[in-house]
Amino acid sequence: MDNKYIEKMLSKMDEDLSKQGMSRREVMKLAGLSSAGLFMGATSANAAEEEKIVKSNAKGKIVIVGGGLAGMSTAARLILNLDSPDITVIEPEELSVSYQPGQTLIGAGIWDEDDIAYKRDDFVPDGVKVIKERAILFNPQENKLTTEKGQVVSYDYLILATGLQLDFERIKGLEEAGRAYSAGDNTKLLKALGDNICSVYTAEGATKTWEIMQKHIAQAKSGKKTKFVFTHPSTPVKCGGAPKKIMYLANARLKEAGARENAELTFYPNGGAMFGVPEYHDAILEQFKREDFKWHYRHNLVEVDKEKKIAVFDSKWQEKGPWDPVMKDFEVIPKHEKIRVPYDFLHITPAQLAPREIGESDLGSAKGWVPVNKETLQHIRYENVFSIGDVAQVPMGKTGGSVRKQYKVLVDNLIALMNGKTLEAKYAGYTVCPLITDIGTVMLAEFDWTVKPTPSFPLDPTVERWVFWLMKVYALKPMTMYGMLSGRA
Amino acid sequence: MQIKFELVTYNEELDRFELDENSYQIELDDEDAETYELLKSSDLHLYNWLKESDFFLKYIKEEVYQDSENKKFAISDINGVSFIRFYFFKVTSGDSHYEYFKKLFNIHAESDWQDREDIGEEILQCLSTKRKELILELC
Repeated sequence: MDNKYIEKMLSKMDEDLSKQGMSRREVMKLAGLSSAGLFMGATSANAAEEEKIVKSNAKGKIVIVGGGLAGMSTAARLILNLDSPDITVIEPEELSVSYQPGQTLIGAGIWDEDDIAYKRDDFVPDGVKVIKERAILFNPQENKLTTEKGQVVSYDYLILATGLQLDFERIKGLEEAGRAYSAGDNTKLLKALGDNICSVYTAEGATKTWEIMQKHIAQAKSGKKTKFVFTHPSTPVKCGGAPKKIMYLANARLKEAGARENAELTFYPNGGAMFGVPEYHDAILEQFKREDFKWHYRHNLVEVDKEKKIAVFDSKWQEKGPWDPVMKDFEVIPKHEKIRVPYDFLHITPAQLAPREIGESDLGSAKGWVPVNKETLQHIRYENVFSIGDVAQVPMGKTGGSVRKQYKVLVDNLIALMNGKTLEAKYAGYTVCPLITDIGTVMLAEFDWTVKPTPSFPLDPTVERWVFWLMKVYALKPMTMYGMLSGRA
Repeated sequence: MQIKFELVTYNEELDRFELDENSYQIELDDEDAETYELLKSSDLHLYNWLKESDFFLKYIKEEVYQDSENKKFAISDINGVSFIRFYFFKVTSGDSHYEYFKKLFNIHAESDWQDREDIGEEILQCLSTKRKELILELC
């Protein structure tokens, strides 16, 4: 980690804590942790880990497609673990390593875009080559790929870390927004969404969310009944907690402005639960009741009428069907209908897809994601190909917290493969979602494929805590930017 | 002790199972009875044990499907433990069958967003592999 950054972060945290009449030590005691335990844990652990690393003399040309958090952390860790590394990262975006988990905080005016903008070139590990283009054609049979400018790149080992794409285009009425996003034109995207629709799923969109939110909070404050609508789509999404986090933060800002009684906040998830882990589902449901939120399960946003401010959802339910004499049970018949919902403020979590060039290649599955062994992260058909992060077809794996576990597994397994050894490192599905429930409180939802809470701290994980807010706002970013991206944390 | 069991036959051309309407019984010796008691609460272990038991295949060859070389079949019930869902599952099958396969095939992760149709299709894909493991062939 960058010590100057940590000092700055701790001093800002101390300043905020002293306003509350508390010291850092007291906060740690409150959380049941040693004062060194939480925020500085990563650095002391790093020191121990660093001593353990024995560099491998394995050889081979490694190409990483995607230089975001997953790709660049993997490159950094490979550099630490290989004696003579030959690594190329293919990444066209200048700000590819920007800190995306901060976008919900921007959406509620707590951070601004500068707080999360990080340049790719500042985080390229020494010795790693970068091709500042997009890979558009993959030929895994010949271990080659082609970039958008026609450069053919060959490899011995390939790591796919491209991230995913937002799909506004599938929402009727937002086709223009979708086309603008695909063209990389954020200004046009925001213009196409208009003054009442927003999404924190882009950095610029998060800033616009805060602008639109303030406008509607002012409207509620003026006494006008204002409807805030939040969606969650029918595809996997990165940071599955974000659609709810922005709702909690809008609620916090409304309360702060004394405008909550004129606002109605409603959540329309496509799924049938608040969270895949029953314990967190129950906790969130209680929070929703406490905060007087409304919710309607199994609603997928399919259309928006911007002029009339109507969101159209495909609502699904099941009915009892005929008796099946063989299965000795009643069949279940899925039904659906379109529901029109008026809104004043609409926060959209768009459908999310694997990049088209991956989905259309031999490396993608029928749904586009890269099919990998979910434990070893090795491609199911091409043994010299691995995938990590949002694009990998791994259950529950689309968060920075998952990547933090995945990239170490991937590096261990890739080096094992290069040395002709068995792939022994296994990803167990760990995911973390710091679910912001108010300005100042976070429920730290940690879980894995056992679908049970797997807390890292000796605290009830279903309780919202201030100390986890401090961790979210002050500690996770440096841990990511200077811990993970150096390949150590 | 005795165990009762039922069978389904497999039509390879149509890739389809058909019910064998008969119910069969077989006598277990003490050692096999002990094994049965140990495995009866774990359906797939119970299935695999019976499938791989010499006494079972001998009984099928001699008493059930005589002179039926290469005949393919599967077990659909062992003393009330039903395997019928493996052969006749549809996307619209009842919730209990659907939940069973979600757990069996570890399809838990995306349950907060996926449609029943999506999961149902995924179950059918996983089942096509699983069914091959369950089928027995007389030689």
